[in-house]
Amino acid sequence: MWRSRQLLFLFFLGMLLTACRRDKDQPIYNPVPYQIDIPFGFPTKLNIPSDNPMTEEGIALGRFLFYDGRLSGRNHPDSLMSCGSCHVQSRNFEAGVDHPLFESGFVHGLNGQQTHHVMLPLVNLVWNHSGYGWNGFLYPENPNPGLRNIEDFVRLAVQAKDEMDADTSRVKALFQTLPGYPELFFNAFGTEKITFKNMERAIAQFVRTLISANAPFDRFLRGEYQLTASELNGYVLFTTEEGADCFHCHGGGGNPLFTTHLFYNNGKDSVFVDSLDRFAVTGDPMHRGAYKAPSLRNVAVSGPFMHDGRFETLDQVIDFYAHQVVYSDLIDPLMHHVLRGGVQLTPQEKTDLKAFIATLHDENFLTNPAYGPPAYFPDESFKSDSHD
Amino acid sequence: MYKSILFLSLLFIWFSACRSNHENEQNPSGEIQLGISHTVDGNPLATDTLQYVNAAGNHYLVSEIQWFLSDLKLEREDGKMVEPTDDMAYYIDTDLPESRSIVLRNLPDGNYRALHFTFGLNEENNRSGLFVNPPESFMFWPDYLGGGYHYMKLNGKWINADGLAEPFNFHLGIGQEYDSSALKSSYIRPNDCCAANHCEGYKPPSKMMPVRAFIQNSFEVTLSQNFVVRHGMKTKLEIEMKVENWFRGKHVYDHNRWGGSIMQQQAAMKQGLENGLDVFALHVTSISDVAK
Ligand code: HEC
Ligand code: HEC
Repeated sequence: MWRSRQLLFLFFLGMLLTACRRDKDQPIYNPVPYQIDIPFGFPTKLNIPSDNPMTEEGIALGRFLFYDGRLSGRNHPDSLMSCGSCHVQSRNFEAGVDHPLFESGFVHGLNGQQTHHVMLPLVNLVWNHSGYGWNGFLYPENPNPGLRNIEDFVRLAVQAKDEMDADTSRVKALFQTLPGYPELFFNAFGTEKITFKNMERAIAQFVRTLISANAPFDRFLRGEYQLTASELNGYVLFTTEEGADCFHCHGGGGNPLFTTHLFYNNGKDSVFVDSLDRFAVTGDPMHRGAYKAPSLRNVAVSGPFMHDGRFETLDQVIDFYAHQVVYSDLIDPLMHHVLRGGVQLTPQEKTDLKAFIATLHDENFLTNPAYGPPAYFPDESFKSDSHD
Repeated sequence: MYKSILFLSLLFIWFSACRSNHENEQNPSGEIQLGISHTVDGNPLATDTLQYVNAAGNHYLVSEIQWFLSDLKLEREDGKMVEPTDDMAYYIDTDLPESRSIVLRNLPDGNYRALHFTFGLNEENNRSGLFVNPPESFMFWPDYLGGGYHYMKLNGKWINADGLAEPFNFHLGIGQEYDSSALKSSYIRPNDCCAANHCEGYKPPSKMMPVRAFIQNSFEVTLSQNFVVRHGMKTKLEIEMKVENWFRGKHVYDHNRWGGSIMQQQAAMKQGLENGLDVFALHVTSISDVAK
């Protein structure tokens, strides 16, 4: 017994010594785990792949990369593009209809090619288990391991002809040469050698922190805010079948994500020709013309609306659901007002419904500096004074 | 000294292993695999195909059925009730195969004569905020309509009087009694709603719809059927939902009468619920070694 204690002691001493020695020669890889606080009423199950646990260091690096225009693998001022070029915080991480570069919010890649669909917001994505993209082509159980999660969206956005149109090995090589980045990669992943996989991981970690849960409606759920008469009436309309009937697809008090993340044909058309609808993913002909119901959080700032951006304003969307719903064999049964052309709202009801949707506007999310662009990038820290 | 400790602990392990064996003999336990099936006119439900006709003569199709089975109990031959699980409720979905198979372990050996459950969620359990995770959370029933969760969403389409395929949402949950004399724009006090405690976790809204009362619509199902549970054996049972029976029985349910949405039509929900007593059946499909 005694002998084994001695051994143990020696062992610890050894560990201590080696630890000390490493301290002098090189930094220690010891990332701080990051825990997502579950907001009131939100699901507790998160979509975080087991091979990419979130850490403070990973998120910090991811934020730099998300906003660094050199993600396009190029240095020239004309060919810079990052996630943040299209995904703008103040517009719910879409481009917004008033974007200076992308007219009416229709984004295009570096080479000018417009994206197939308009944008989706990056909001509360860590709670989406059923599929990313308008048709949900990235989902956790996908037999194709390269099409499963936000990590894969990074690669696709970098490579896509209608986005950055870049080469991943060039991108990682470029970042390897930028002073400051290799250290950040070490802090996050334990190696200064930059791999594109680790770039994907870091950006995905950052995107998973983009959480909106402090809108007036959230405060209402927590008992901290009382909705106005108009907002309340809008809430009743939103969550009743004989009202505006939005809740089955877009949530409500019992589903504060304000989406099911599921796919529906919501009756915009009677002919379906888009090659990238839900049918393209499932192969089920019943899914033609079906798309993901986006979250309605902060939705007022993230037009244009629907996968093809056919509506520029929320008023147009509400008018559509009220009067312009179109019949087809493929319309989702939940659109049961279709034969009346929609839910038939009066002008006052439309005002109230819009007032309720406005209670999902989370100013804190749209301005939180932790989600916004960094003041400077790792290789230009000398600029920090002028920026801060 | 070291050796003797080792020996003693080995002895101890051996003893405790022995004891647990012994316990098992006193308390033999078996397993039930409870499957859930959905049928129409005796055949497995085929979704999204317009091939069914209900008692009212409505041609219809079913796209999906999502529902809660709760308070599961097994009744022994001597009338004693066994609660076979800690799970208060099971979410069942025609689109999710894994939701249609429930495994119940460590059940007392013996002869049983019935299975009981609540269709939906009982009054005490059916509170808003009970489920935060999907897919259960997607079943939430708006607080203005009584709160808690849908007992069932049965979505489909029927050929209406004009010959068009019209969507129907046969959704069952807490019903409302509206004050028909009240103007559509008048409201009741929040406490009238929250007296029933369905707004748990929420600050009661100051204005509500003119609802006079909420009506609990969940019901208990008793399926009499003899089955056995044997130590080391797996008994396979199947609960069958006979979809067509929602629309016949005490009432002939006509979609042309009730239309596509019934969450705010207690009279329609009541017809469905009263028919619902004959919707379920229990079958013993097999009994085999657990290993198989
Ligand atoms: C050229 C503009 C553009 C750039 C640059 C861009 N995106 Fe996107 N993003 C889009 C569009 C358009 C969509 C909708 C895609 C579709 O059709 O499904 C989208 C969708 C997404 C989604 C899916 C959201 C959801 O709810 O399903 C994620 C995640 C995403 N982008 C992340 C990123 C990341 C990370 C980057 C940087 C590596 C990036 N994007 C760069 C335009 C862009
Ligand atoms: C049957 C499910 C369903 C119902 C009911 C429903 N929606 Fe939608 N909603 C969708 C789908 C699916 C989309 C995306 C469709 C597309 O892009 O083609 C969508 C898109 C939207 C958008 C645009 C979001 C964006 O970012 O582009 C808004 C706003 C919206 N719905 C609001 C509402 C309102 C308000 C109601 C009630 C009046 C409602 N929805 C009812 C399924 C539904």
